[in-house]
Amino acid sequence: MPTPVDVLERRIDELRVAVRQAVLAGDRAQATALRAELRRAEREWDDALDEFADQTPVPPLLPIRDQVHNALTLLGVPAAPKLLIAVHEAFFAGEIVGARLTSLRRDEERSFRAAPRQRPYYLCSALTADLLAPARGLLAVSTWPLDRRIVGPLSARVDFLTAAIRIAEQAERHPGAERLLRRFAVNIPGATDSSFADVKPEVVVRAARAELAVHEGADRSHREAAAERARTQLDDAAQLFGSRELQRT
Amino acid sequence: MTSPERLRGAAAPKSHNARTIAALTTNPGCSRRAVMDAAGIDKERLAAYVGFPARFGQSQFAITRGNVFEAQLKADGCAELLRLLREVLGLPIPQVSYDDLESVDQLDARADRSRELLTRAAGGESGTLFDHPLLRLEVGGRWVYLEPDLIALQFGGTFYVVEIKSFAVIDGQADGTKVSAAATQAAVYVLALRRLLAEAGHDPGLVSHEVVLVCPENFSNRPVATLVDVRKKLSVLERQLARMARIDPILESLSPDLTFDLRPDSSGVPQRPVAELVDGLGQIDARYSPECLANCELAFFCRHEARGTTASLGKSVREELGGVPSVDLALSLASGAVAPADDQEEAAAMLRFAAQLRSECLS
Ligand code: SF4
Repeated sequence: MPTPVDVLERRIDELRVAVRQAVLAGDRAQATALRAELRRAEREWDDALDEFADQTPVPPLLPIRDQVHNALTLLGVPAAPKLLIAVHEAFFAGEIVGARLTSLRRDEERSFRAAPRQRPYYLCSALTADLLAPARGLLAVSTWPLDRRIVGPLSARVDFLTAAIRIAEQAERHPGAERLLRRFAVNIPGATDSSFADVKPEVVVRAARAELAVHEGADRSHREAAAERARTQLDDAAQLFGSRELQRT
Repeated sequence: MTSPERLRGAAAPKSHNARTIAALTTNPGCSRRAVMDAAGIDKERLAAYVGFPARFGQSQFAITRGNVFEAQLKADGCAELLRLLREVLGLPIPQVSYDDLESVDQLDARADRSRELLTRAAGGESGTLFDHPLLRLEVGGRWVYLEPDLIALQFGGTFYVVEIKSFAVIDGQADGTKVSAAATQAAVYVLALRRLLAEAGHDPGLVSHEVVLVCPENFSNRPVATLVDVRKKLSVLERQLARMARIDPILESLSPDLTFDLRPDSSGVPQRPVAELVDGLGQIDARYSPECLANCELAFFCRHEARGTTASLGKSVREELGGVPSVDLALSLASGAVAPADDQEEAAAMLRFAAQLRSECLS
C-alpha cells in the first residue's frame, strides 16, 4: 500500500519531467503553471513527511481484520498468527499488532452468531479432519472452499509447501520478503544450494512443487471426505468455527 | 487399612510426568514417597504448608526458553523438525503425517485416542508424528498417567521417542548430567510406549532403544538432533519399578483416619492444623538420603526429621556405619565412651581408628 508520501514523490517526479518538457518546447505559460504545481506538491510533501514523523509508530493503515485477510489471501492456506504477522510484515505496509490477534477469532464468531452473513467475509477456524473441531491456533477465511479449511494429518506439510510457493511467487516484486522465503526454503529439500547463501524464488517453487506432488493426492482425499462430513453434520456457524463436541467417526 | 483416595482427600490427584517417575526410581525404598506418589498427593504444596518448601524445579526462565524452542521446531507443520529427522534418521519424504493428540480435552479420551492411533500405526497403518500422546505406566502397583511433552515418531515399522530440550550442545558436546537426565526421562517414555504396544498385542521391540534428542546448537536457536542409546537407563528403570515396594502392604499398616487433605476454605487457603499433618507424615516410614534434595519435594522436611541419623549423611556413610543409627552413638563409639554391641564391632573399630587419626592430625 503506497503511503501519501509515496504518492507525492511520484507526482513530484512527474511534474519535474513535465516542467522540463514544457521549457524545452518553449511553452512558457504551461511551464509557469507546472512550476507552481510543483512548488505546491513539494510543500505538501514537506507537510506529509512531518506528519509521518509525528505518528511513530506507524499506525496500521487498515483495521486488523483486513490486515489478516490480506495475509491469509496471499498465503491461500490456514495459518498461525506468527506466520501471518511475518507475512504481513514482508509484503504489506503497517504492522499487525500480535496482541490483538488473540481475540480476533472469538470476536468474529460472536459477530457471525449475532447476525450471520452480514459481512463479505469472516476470519474463522481451520477444522481438524477427524473431529471437525477448531484446529488450535490456525486462522482461515470463510469464503474459502470448506475442504481448504480442513486440516488432516498431511495438511500441515501440504499447507507449508503451498505457502512457500505463494510466498516465492510474490517475492520477486517484494525484496522485503527474502528473509521469510529463506525461512521456508531451508526446510524444503532441494530449495537452496548447499551453502544456503542464495535463495532463488523459482528454485523454491520447483522444490516445493516436487514435494507437494508426493503428499497432495492423499491429503486432498482426507480433506474432501472430512468436508463432506462437515457439510452434513454441522450447522453454518460450526462449519466456520468448528464443532465443540467430540464427534468420533 | 486406608486408601489412596482417603489419603489425598478432596484435592485433585497430581499428575506424573517422566521427571517425577525418573526421580521416583532414585529412592525406591522410601515408603513415604511411594504412598504420596501413588495417592497423587501434591507433595510440593504439602511441604510448603508444613514449613519446608522445596527448593528445586526449573526456573521460569528455563521453562519459557524451552517452550519457545519447542514452538519453533513445531511451527509451520513441524518444518524444522522434519528437516532434522530427514537428516539424522533418513526419514523418507512421504512421511510427514502429524497428529496432535492434545487436541482432545478429556484425559481418558486422550489416552484412548493415543492408544488407538499408536496401535494402528504399529499395525502397519499410516501415521508418522504423534504429538503429546498420553501414556500410562504402572508405578508401585498403581497406574499413573504420563503427561509427556514428547513426540512419538514412527517410520519403517519402528517407533522413536523424540525429546526436545532447550539445553545447548556446544561443539558437539552437551552437559553430561543434563543429557543423562533427559535420557532417563526418555527411557520412561520408551518403557510406557513399549507396554502400550505390548498390551495391544504388538511386539514391544517395535519401540527403539535409541531416542532422538533435539537441542539448540552453540547458543543459537539452530536445532541439532542426536541419537541417544537409553538401553542402560531402561534396564535400571525396569528393575527399580519392579522392585518398588507395592504400596498395598504399606497402606494396610496405616490408620484408617490418616489423611493429607489440607482442607482449604472457600478461597483455597488450607485450614488443616500443621501439627496434624506433621504427625501424619511421621506415621509413614521415610528413608532420607542427601540425593532426596535433588529429587523429592519433601526433602527439607525429611532432612529435618532425619537430623542426627547416620543415614542422612549419605549412602557411603550409611553403608560403612551399618548398625550404628545415630550420629551421637557413632561419636560415643569413637571416643570409647560406649562399648559396641556385637554387630557394631567392625564399625566401632573403624570409628576409633578415625578418631585417633583425627586427634593426631590436630595435635
Ligand atoms: S525426601 Fe523424604 S519422602 Fe522424599 S524420597 Fe526422600 S525420604 Fe522419601
